[in-house]
Amino acid sequence: MEVKVLFFGVLAEVSGTSIKHYENVRSLADLKLKIQDDFPEMFHYNFRFSVNNTITDDEHVLKAGDEIALLPPFAGG
Amino acid sequence: MEDNYLISGPISQKIISEIILRIGRHKDAGGNMLFLGQVRADENEGKRVKAIEYSAYTEMVNAEAEKIKRTIFSEFDDVKSVEIIHSTGVVSTGEISLLVLVCSGHRQQAMQACSKTVELIKATLPVWKKEIYEDDSHTWS
Repeated sequence: MEVKVLFFGVLAEVSGTSIKHYENVRSLADLKLKIQDDFPEMFHYNFRFSVNNTITDDEHVLKAGDEIALLPPFAGG
Repeated sequence: MEDNYLISGPISQKIISEIILRIGRHKDAGGNMLFLGQVRADENEGKRVKAIEYSAYTEMVNAEAEKIKRTIFSEFDDVKSVEIIHSTGVVSTGEISLLVLVCSGHRQQAMQACSKTVELIKATLPVWKKEIYEDDSHTWS
């Protein structure tokens, strides 16, 4: 099962990428651990997760094809 | 169908004029409120901002902007239309990066709804800004 992960704002800069695919992840908590392994420096920043455009929590169960985004605090305007 | 709420670069005078001219379509509107957000030359630790580079999560911006409009229409029964445009990419100081236009039957709801729309944009639109200084260094805010 593969999901797409998007990084925005400072997180895209810190990771050096704006998109990465992950396999074998069942929940956001799972995914978080994998991202932490790849980009530990990202976790010095505040961010929330969205799944398919909706902000959600760690317990969210993922399904194949989900689009997950890591969202630093919004700063529009 | 969803609108596209994002525009690449600053919101030009031409775009602003075109949007203002469209107001006339609403023959039932009597009060219209326009908000223009401008990039400010802030100073941080002795360095002056020369531009802001905006990035956005386009799909979610469109979904959230639709939600904002639904909220405004449900709370303000006199509002006829809500326009939202936000810049992406580089916008220099003195240039416009956000436009909100609310057309309403009467002035009170136009002003209140415009203010609420701007606050909701700040709180819920997935947009990020990189402040670029005159020495080309930058910070995220």
